[in-house]
Amino acid sequence: MDILVAILAAGLTNGALYALATIGLSLVWGSMGMLNMAHGAMLTLGGYAVYTVATSMGLPVWLAVIVAAGVGAVAGAVLYMAVVRSLLHSAGKNFETSVMIATVGIAIALQNALLLFYGGQPLAQPFGVSGMISIGNSVVPMLNFVIILVSVAVMAALALLIGRTRMGRAIRATAQNRQAALLMGVPVERIYLQVLALSGAVSGICGVLVSSVTQLSPTLGADPMLKAFIMCVVAGLGNLPGAVAAAFGLALIEAIVQFTMGARWGFPVLLMLVIAILIWRPNGLFGRAQIRRM
Amino acid sequence: MSETSGAILKLEDVHAGYEGPDVLHGITLDVPRGQIVTVVGPNGHGKSTLLRTISGLTSLRRGEVTLAGHKLSGLRPERIAALGLAHVPQGDLLFPEMTVYENLQMGAYLSRDARQFDRLLEEVYALLPRLKERHGQIASSLSGGERRMVGIGRGLMAGAEVLMLDEPSLGLAPLVIDQIYEVIGALREQGRTILLVEENPARVAHLSDTMHLLDDGRLAWSGAPADLLEREELLETYLGG
Repeated sequence: MDILVAILAAGLTNGALYALATIGLSLVWGSMGMLNMAHGAMLTLGGYAVYTVATSMGLPVWLAVIVAAGVGAVAGAVLYMAVVRSLLHSAGKNFETSVMIATVGIAIALQNALLLFYGGQPLAQPFGVSGMISIGNSVVPMLNFVIILVSVAVMAALALLIGRTRMGRAIRATAQNRQAALLMGVPVERIYLQVLALSGAVSGICGVLVSSVTQLSPTLGADPMLKAFIMCVVAGLGNLPGAVAAAFGLALIEAIVQFTMGARWGFPVLLMLVIAILIWRPNGLFGRAQIRRM
Repeated sequence: MSETSGAILKLEDVHAGYEGPDVLHGITLDVPRGQIVTVVGPNGHGKSTLLRTISGLTSLRRGEVTLAGHKLSGLRPERIAALGLAHVPQGDLLFPEMTVYENLQMGAYLSRDARQFDRLLEEVYALLPRLKERHGQIASSLSGGERRMVGIGRGLMAGAEVLMLDEPSLGLAPLVIDQIYEVIGALREQGRTILLVEENPARVAHLSDTMHLLDDGRLAWSGAPADLLEREELLETYLGG
């Protein structure tokens, strides 16, 4: 029973974090065909933004989430205005490759900027959630519940926005058929800006949650970025519900492996499983031969 | 061709193309309010490019297109749509993972008037009752004819002054083609302004007020549809009889 609680606590908490990291990446990929290699750096930026504000004024959880979302959204919008928009106009058929290389450069630049500004020493995220909750004979940190709750709330809000609002319909329409969306009067470039801002907001929140369980460092986003990429591919590119399901499913499997075989086996087994899935279903678990977007 | 007074859509010396040389070479034509103007011609001779140029999907290189007095050159497609032009492109271009209803909602994307939306939806469902039956169905799961009807319905939901239809019968079974042309006939009865592109003039002669024959990006002939059908040498030369 204790092991089950521990596996569930670790699996669901990591699943929530993976899912949050993945939906930001998947949203941009599905809408724009853009692999945002700066996604992890934007996530890190959210964590540092909250650190900066919290050390100066102290922050409750809800405010930390808003600050992280705001900084992430601005970072996403700046990324679009400064780089992506130009590439959309100039790169033509090479957009996917060009934007991938460009965002790798931005990620490295951002990482080094954070290194210069904050130094290389890991920093503790000053906002935190204390307390434990007893489940049977086990205790689970309150922070795990907060991470799961915040993640689920963000995903639910995003699902509502994408599924039920005019803006969400325009995002889905643009993802499914850009030319048809233009003919309907959808301002596609503004939609791209909104998508990157939304993705940035989600990454920012993810960054503050990840840094609350680990520590802040300029490379904080690297691991979530890698995991998010894996989840995206496993789910099928650009498939948001699939990405969430893959994130929770794989995180639970990783937790089971870690508790039964040892922590060092978690990631290798996860990768082997991913390879097996991709051999079995090359377009991902929920993917089709053609990308199903959102 | 001389300008018709009351033309809502005017093209003057339009040159357009993609990456290479021009596809359209100096097209001049008018679409008068309340009429159906049809452009016929062989495949690959610029009919779709003509509509794409008007709606801003393809660059206008020279000449001018005006819609209700607004110059369209240099405007982006979404801006042109907002000025009152609905383009139903060849091959549907639906939003495949959306329902029929959501596709229709997207047709009315530019309108925030709920009452106008309800009125337009009612009109579309009256004209295309199959869409009402299929309103919750995902567009990609529809038959070819149903998809074409969604495309037309979505175009009508814009409430635009000018509707452009690009080969609405392409690839459909004869029975379904008849249904599609019945719908266009009903639109004609309603006094809609339509620029229609078709390959076969005989199919659409009874629906059209004016017909233009497009050959190799140039207007080879313009006039009344009945006159074109009598010009056997033209039909033979340009359309293979």
